[in-house]
Amino acid sequence: MNNPATSADLRADNKASTFDIVQKSLAKRRSAERRFKAYGLTGIMLGLMFLLVLFTSIIGKGYTAFVQTQVKLDIYFDAEWLDPEHGGDDSLAKADYNGLIKKSLSTAFPEVTERRDKRDLYAMVSSGAGFLLREMVVTDKSLLGKTVPVWLPADDDIDMLMKGHIDREQDQANRRVNDKQLAWIDRLSQEARIEKHFNALFFTAGDSREPEMAGIRGALMGSLLTLIGTFLLSFPIGVATAVYLEEFAPINKFTDFIEVNINNLAAVPSIVFGLLGLAMFINFFGLPRSTPIIGCLVLTLMTLPTIIIAGRASLKSVPPSIREAALGMGASKLQTITHHVLPLAMPGMMTGSIIGMARALGETAPLLMIGMVAFIVDVPTSFTQPSTVLPVQIYLWADSPERAFVERTSAAIMVLLFFLISMNGLAVYLRRRYERRW
Amino acid sequence: MSYIRESVPSHSMKRQTLSNVLGMKKIDRESRETVGAITSSDTRISCRNVNVFYGEKQAINDLSLDIGNNEVISFIGPSGCGKSTFLRTLNRMNDTIPSCKVEGEIKIDDKDIYHRDMDVVPLRAQVGMVFQKPNPFPKSIYDNVAYGPRIHGLAVNKTELDEIVQNSLIKAGLWEEVKDRLDEPGTGLSGGQQQRLCIARTIAVNPEVILMDEPCSALDPIATAKIEQLIAELKERFTIVIVTHSMQQAARVSQRTAYFHMGHLIEVGDTNQIFTNPVHPLTEDYITGRFG
Repeated sequence: MNNPATSADLRADNKASTFDIVQKSLAKRRSAERRFKAYGLTGIMLGLMFLLVLFTSIIGKGYTAFVQTQVKLDIYFDAEWLDPEHGGDDSLAKADYNGLIKKSLSTAFPEVTERRDKRDLYAMVSSGAGFLLREMVVTDKSLLGKTVPVWLPADDDIDMLMKGHIDREQDQANRRVNDKQLAWIDRLSQEARIEKHFNALFFTAGDSREPEMAGIRGALMGSLLTLIGTFLLSFPIGVATAVYLEEFAPINKFTDFIEVNINNLAAVPSIVFGLLGLAMFINFFGLPRSTPIIGCLVLTLMTLPTIIIAGRASLKSVPPSIREAALGMGASKLQTITHHVLPLAMPGMMTGSIIGMARALGETAPLLMIGMVAFIVDVPTSFTQPSTVLPVQIYLWADSPERAFVERTSAAIMVLLFFLISMNGLAVYLRRRYERRW
Repeated sequence: MSYIRESVPSHSMKRQTLSNVLGMKKIDRESRETVGAITSSDTRISCRNVNVFYGEKQAINDLSLDIGNNEVISFIGPSGCGKSTFLRTLNRMNDTIPSCKVEGEIKIDDKDIYHRDMDVVPLRAQVGMVFQKPNPFPKSIYDNVAYGPRIHGLAVNKTELDEIVQNSLIKAGLWEEVKDRLDEPGTGLSGGQQQRLCIARTIAVNPEVILMDEPCSALDPIATAKIEQLIAELKERFTIVIVTHSMQQAARVSQRTAYFHMGHLIEVGDTNQIFTNPVHPLTEDYITGRFG
């Protein structure tokens, strides 16, 4: 109880009312508030700026990878040349299609006769272009004996020149395209026989040593298979573990021990999981190396702690009143969990899983340890075929010396980011939809 | 025990003198013996020497009480006196608290509910519960009411289930308000409607006893009046145990009233008698508003 006389005395002494005192400190308080807001805004602005720089850099470097310089050549599908012994499909598959391209180039440039010049001329078309011709013949035999105009990918050096990455003014000795080739290119572009077209190969081909023939299909399929496997393994195991630990596990030292270790596992560097995978799955269980099945097992080990921790947090956040209501109705413990608690915790669990999946999609280090870093040309179609994944593909291309791999690296990063963003978008969409039901 | 004191406050002296003048049996204010008739003529629930512990702390001390068939009994008392704890021992909701330990004997229809072979699932189907805060499931109104019958398999087909849902909602006095929007979420109703939905959900499994833990404390007076009216109707068919902080409510809805103090059942008796002529000094203090 305060004494009214005393407080009146105080006021008389100080000759200042509470209002005045508050008024004095007000400016200071307000400016502290303004400062705090300014710090926050600066932080966000800095973040956005870096994001902008990142995107400009990646898109600026990478967008040219989506087009590819192509040369239009009149190819005469010479049946006698391709299949002199009339061996049918087998010999057609083994035939020398590059010879057709060389012949066509010689016809187009009859003035080139010297051996060295001819080599330079032939080098303008990708050395992998023959495979494309073979594909055409194998799918459509009626081409044999006809002359057809075909757009074939140019060599990566020509492509770089067309995209302006090689300086025409530079001294010939330091330039990867010589003067004669420049002249031929100019002639071809006057005849509209050299143009930049959409680079479909980038999305349909596997890896290649020739940049113009390299695509991300193999890495994309590898990533997809690995992620599907990771999700199928880690989501059910993670959710079940979270439910058991949160709802059923007895409170004792052993449970505490498990809890502490799960939290520790979440902080273990991912390369350690790679080593574990190498020792366990490849050396001990003898599973085939470099395959999505190993990849998903290792990534499951890595994502499980994240999913379990997020799952437990979302189970904890379900209001106890719902549990009480269900238990009070006579629902058994498992019914309470499956009918009420789990559906309410699901959006949170999905968020956790998607964070885990996104981390798994971008993970490189553990996969290096289990051999998913190999140069693989074939597009994998099953869990047991050797494959690589998107981030590893980016790493491999970033390591390649050819100038044309620079833009492909950036383009692959763009594809990876696209998938990450759409995964998150899908997660948000699913979560919203799921929440609306309740 | 710390509450045993030698000196007695003066005002209590006066009352004791008054009691003596009126010729009533003098009861020491420090006595924790239950005053009044703990037995009932038509016993449904019988509790003998019940002790409840939360870890080291004793929440209920040696409590004995009978609850009769189709009667409304209300538990009153200051906060933390153990009335909710005791209510929750009646359908073993305390099992969910790991540190909680129950001793003594609680029999419903001569079955010991704390016996090793007793399963809580049929027990809770038999003894329904309505909580302090309305807690409908985040599902449709229909699914809320249909949940109990579904998990217990009380309806063989959709028509029967529809019937149970409709009857329960009618009995809970909610049917007219929600019959056109059974598919809407139960959480979208007003507080009072939600609580009546919870009551409908409870009576849908046709329990014998309904425990209500301060069912109106989160509701406005109009919603409270509706719930009280509902209790008056439900007592025809159910035994109702209600914990309440409102003495007016206890006086309005119940036939018997039990007063709890610090984990002891102090006095139990006819509601009229408790509110007009309490025997124990502590009961008198509480109902006259001296503390609590």
